[in-house]
Amino acid sequence: MRRLAATLPLVLALWGLPPAAAAGPEPACDVTPELIEAAPLPGTFAAIARGELRIMVVGSASTAGGGTSGPEATWPARLQARLATRLSPVVVRLESFGRRGSTAADHARIIAAEAARFRPHLIIWQLGTVEAARGLPAEEMSEAVQDAAARLRAARGELTDLILMDMQFSRFFRANANVEAYRDQLRIAAAAAGAQLFSRWSIMQHWAETDTVDLERAPRERRMAVADALHDCLARALVAFIRQGVADMRR
Amino acid sequence: MLGALSSLVRPGRDLRVDFVRGLALWFIFIDHTPGNLLGKLTLRNVALMDATEVFVLLAGYASGLAYGRLLEREGWAPAAARVAGRVGTLYVAHIFLFVVFTAQVGYSAALLDHAAYLDELALDPFGQEPYRAMLEALLLRYQPHFLDILPLYIAVLAMFALALPLVARPLLLLGLSLGLYLIARGLDLAPPGWGDAEWFFNPLAWQLLFAIGVVLARADPAWLARRLPWNRWVAALAVLALVAVAVLLNLVWHGPARGWEPPAALAAWLAGVDKTGLHPARLATVLLAAWLVAHLLPAQAGFLSGRLAALFVLMGQQSLPVFCSGIFLSFLGRLAIEVSAGLPMQVAVNLAGLAALVAVGAVSAWYGGEGSRRRKPPAPGLPAQPGAVTG
Repeated sequence: MRRLAATLPLVLALWGLPPAAAAGPEPACDVTPELIEAAPLPGTFAAIARGELRIMVVGSASTAGGGTSGPEATWPARLQARLATRLSPVVVRLESFGRRGSTAADHARIIAAEAARFRPHLIIWQLGTVEAARGLPAEEMSEAVQDAAARLRAARGELTDLILMDMQFSRFFRANANVEAYRDQLRIAAAAAGAQLFSRWSIMQHWAETDTVDLERAPRERRMAVADALHDCLARALVAFIRQGVADMRR
Repeated sequence: MLGALSSLVRPGRDLRVDFVRGLALWFIFIDHTPGNLLGKLTLRNVALMDATEVFVLLAGYASGLAYGRLLEREGWAPAAARVAGRVGTLYVAHIFLFVVFTAQVGYSAALLDHAAYLDELALDPFGQEPYRAMLEALLLRYQPHFLDILPLYIAVLAMFALALPLVARPLLLLGLSLGLYLIARGLDLAPPGWGDAEWFFNPLAWQLLFAIGVVLARADPAWLARRLPWNRWVAALAVLALVAVAVLLNLVWHGPARGWEPPAALAAWLAGVDKTGLHPARLATVLLAAWLVAHLLPAQAGFLSGRLAALFVLMGQQSLPVFCSGIFLSFLGRLAIEVSAGLPMQVAVNLAGLAALVAVGAVSAWYGGEGSRRRKPPAPGLPAQPGAVTG
């Protein structure tokens, strides 16, 4: 146990190195720095220093499966696996609550019910798709986020960090729904709630426009493989985002 | 070519109103084609308003001019009948655009082969409940994305038909309109939507902006000038407030990605500035902007009668056909941008879009579609002179 405690600052120190020094062997889906610019994540930082990181994921269909080959290939599972490898010997536990068609209000209820039991250090909340697709009121979505964040802060203080994740980029979605209004509202909601926004939309748009990963244009027979690759890439971008938030704590 | 277009411009009106209205119609086309790079340059990126607010205010202004005159000449019933006819035209246009929208979504969805990650979008209610969707669309309870301004316009104009007798009593009209706005906001009063969805623009709130436009159009310019005099300090404060909001908006939207954290309290305030119910901050923004433009852009400004401005003046004068075509064209633009969002396509969509809008305006003005009955020079004493907005 004492040896573990001695290695933890080292884990944090190594993890806080600039991305270039820690570049992995898979350059397939890189992101530009401003896409993973994160503010400090005090709860996550403290949890890593203590040796156990609990992450709670809530979201809708893309969190539940998103066309991948199975539960092991979804981005929450990939995130857990990648973080566990990177942070070893820190224990990384992750619970995921993805329900197809669920709204921000549904997610807020799940967080209220489960956070008290699981006591997460980091909540990754994927939302906005269902609201934008169905034309639900954008202000109610941000109210749900602000209320949930206020309750979390009252209960857990700085122990829990909150990251919002917006929609998947899709040309079809962009052409047929007023996505921009909901993305604007999500950015405002994140700032108002003291949360951070991980812009999956911008990141996936970057990949689609650079022909890196483009699920929408993938031929049918390759779609599942591309979905698996996409979710793994998203997990890597999230790891980079979280790493930056943790590194910010050391400044 | 441009000279020929200029000759189609109707003289004798406040060209600023037509020019700004034409710009708003162009912005509506741009904002309705997501992925359009010009969409980063429109009003909504720098202010708590977008082309919709401008469009509704100026629609009220134009209605005040046109129907107010008719009201004075022929009385309530003929004027109300004309407004009702307009409502009918808009309704038919809306249903037509609805059919186009449905066809477009269906076509895109078929092209896409229903990728798994879009499975919860349910953007095509026709796939699930076709008959119900048709009924709800006819009742204006189902409003697909990007088809939300016309229902608002229809509802507000229908209210205007009833309120026509009040046009001669501007203070009463404003008072009742403000009362309805406050009730709608205070009690969350809005026409019902289908299922969980709501009207994107609540007409019970937005009618206030239209009514203000009507009153401004009917007011005596000299009286307005006394009521809303130019004051350099107020103007400086107004500019400062608008700039501050522009900075705040962009800080909240784009700051975090650059490592700048916006103050949470200000962001929380912004989160509550709703568009659906025309939040007072949005109302104040458009009114302040109108006041500033009315004073800073002289009615006799040379460029307004120039050939480039004539394009927008023409569009503004033929607003109904140009607006409806703009929504229709935006469907085509969205399909095109969905195929490719590269620079050649961006240029093509925007050039073709603007050219088509101008062409619609020109054809409409040429065969006298809109305002043909008002071709005669305006009667003396009517506030169609320059400076009518605020003197």
